[in-house]
Amino acid sequence: MTSVRAAVQLLVFPGLGYAVAAGFLMEWMQRKINARLQGRLGPPFYQPFFDVVKLLGKRPVERPPLQGLMMTALPAGAVVATLGAVALLPVVPSGGGFAGDLVLLVGLIELGPLLLVLGGFASRSLWGGLGASREAIMTAAYNLPFLTALIALAHSSGLSLNGAALEGSWPVRVLALLAILICLPAKLHLNPFSIAGAEQEIYAGATTEYDGPRLAMWELAHSLEWVALVGLVAALSLPVTGLGWPVRVLVFLGLSLLVVVLLSATAAATARLKLAQTARWFWLWALVPAASALVLAYAGI
Amino acid sequence: MSPVVPIGPFHPALEEPYKVEVTCEGERITDASVVVGFNFRGIEWLAERKSYTQDIALLERVCGICSNVHTLMFSRAVEKIAGLEVPDRAQYIRVVIAEAERLHSHLLWAGVACNLIGFETLFMTCFSLREQVMDILERISGNRVNYAMNRPGGVNRDISDPGAVLAAVRTIEKTTSGKLIPIMTGDPTVRARCAGVGVLSRDDALAHGAVGPLARASGLTQDIRRSAPYEAYDKLDFDVPVRDEGDVLARIVVRASEILQSCRLIEQAVETMPAGPIGGPLYPSVPAGEASVRVEAPRGEVFYYLASDGTDVPVRVRVRTPTFVNMPTVPLMAVGESISDLPLIQASIDPCYSCNDR
Repeated sequence: MTSVRAAVQLLVFPGLGYAVAAGFLMEWMQRKINARLQGRLGPPFYQPFFDVVKLLGKRPVERPPLQGLMMTALPAGAVVATLGAVALLPVVPSGGGFAGDLVLLVGLIELGPLLLVLGGFASRSLWGGLGASREAIMTAAYNLPFLTALIALAHSSGLSLNGAALEGSWPVRVLALLAILICLPAKLHLNPFSIAGAEQEIYAGATTEYDGPRLAMWELAHSLEWVALVGLVAALSLPVTGLGWPVRVLVFLGLSLLVVVLLSATAAATARLKLAQTARWFWLWALVPAASALVLAYAGI
Repeated sequence: MSPVVPIGPFHPALEEPYKVEVTCEGERITDASVVVGFNFRGIEWLAERKSYTQDIALLERVCGICSNVHTLMFSRAVEKIAGLEVPDRAQYIRVVIAEAERLHSHLLWAGVACNLIGFETLFMTCFSLREQVMDILERISGNRVNYAMNRPGGVNRDISDPGAVLAAVRTIEKTTSGKLIPIMTGDPTVRARCAGVGVLSRDDALAHGAVGPLARASGLTQDIRRSAPYEAYDKLDFDVPVRDEGDVLARIVVRASEILQSCRLIEQAVETMPAGPIGGPLYPSVPAGEASVRVEAPRGEVFYYLASDGTDVPVRVRVRTPTFVNMPTVPLMAVGESISDLPLIQASIDPCYSCNDR
């Protein structure tokens, strides 16, 4: 029974089936909300799916063998890692099987940006390199508050992702969630932190040289990143006990979509900041709630 | 190794083909240069082989934004040589079109600037306002880009529906002062990107002969409409906005204030326009002679030199656009700034390299 459950978690919910569908949906929601706020109509809901399908049907540019291999393997790795992260989201308390823990979840989430940096440099393009170095600096900037918040959570409730163990103190959870939420626009390349893919400055950044199925995989990985990160916030905000699994799933979905709306509206209402400004912002202001959460967690409040 | 980053000739940040080459250390720019000439069309050469009437249609195509200025300049040069008088009503109509064009140009620039700092929503707002200005121009002239309004000694069309023009201008004025300017000058992310960026000191602006809003944002009070009034400008009341900061934000503020001043000018011109004839002779005879004229285009002073030998084809047509003098200030402003600021800094002079290449 536990292995069936683990398989369902990996392949159906919150894994493969849900993740891909929700990824496209969230991508569409972001584009649609953005468009409506700008007085445009926006794309139909199937557009992100069609975009990926169109890219999959294209024949990529010939590359030297090793470069071609890297440019295929790196986005594929990003898709698999992010998919793994989604499957680990603690939506329904695990009754057994492979549950993983917070360290694995964070590792899988962080693998995506790391592979994007490598992918940018592997494409051997000036713009790819600039985008990759920006992505690397951004990672260093937002990961300080992001990881501090997660350490606070882990100290408060343990490393296990099993629902019952997430029963940390509420102040710590709220502050940590706030810090994670602030980091999300940067992790999802949204305004005001859309620096790594600033098209007016460096074309598409790390993915400039990618085309066809290789680009489709980056697009897919990006959609999955939406599900993983928005899902992380939603899963951590769920009340730990007292809800049956259908209610938990519904609340999880509702919270996820709410976060998408919030992020999209923020992105539409802001200009893009600069790299140095972003680093300063994350190391000063976003660190405040994260550090407070950490202090509270260690004080045992 | 310091990489040389070529922005252009084809790049998402540029509206037209030209190149800004920068040498970088990390994100910091250590050297910059502007390369132009990608859009050379030999317009001056062509103008010296066509008749005066044909030249008006040709010169209208020097610029896709300030097309009216070029026919105005050419007509004024012909009027100067031939001693033609422009009727009062035509002078007011010329002011209305010139100011509507300034509105159109400044709103387009504001949109582009917003796009360059990644503020897509404001970009869309600017462009929807610009669409309304183009509607006004279409209502008056029947055209959205090349208005074909000027001819030596007058204008080609009258303003038949002044009420509609006034109503549209008032809407634009309201949206600009109520929505656009507060966001463009007050939004924290816009300020973070524009304040203190790409500073051009007053001395540098003077030394490089900067013109237009670029000069006015660096503390130079210079505007041909005020210092050497032409058409009906001396009969109308308007301010010349000047800022001393010299940064990108100051250029935004100057242009935004000019949008409001242009609305004011159009309103006054339409309301106080005298009745009377509007046009001169369709095919004027131009005696031998030469003339140089200048007017204040949206981007600054435009200079024309015209020489005639008494035939119906000019001997020399010389066009100098404001970008020609503003262009050398770009490296000055860019060095020491971050590469993220480069698209915005180079755009802050409101360049039109296609006009510059001619």
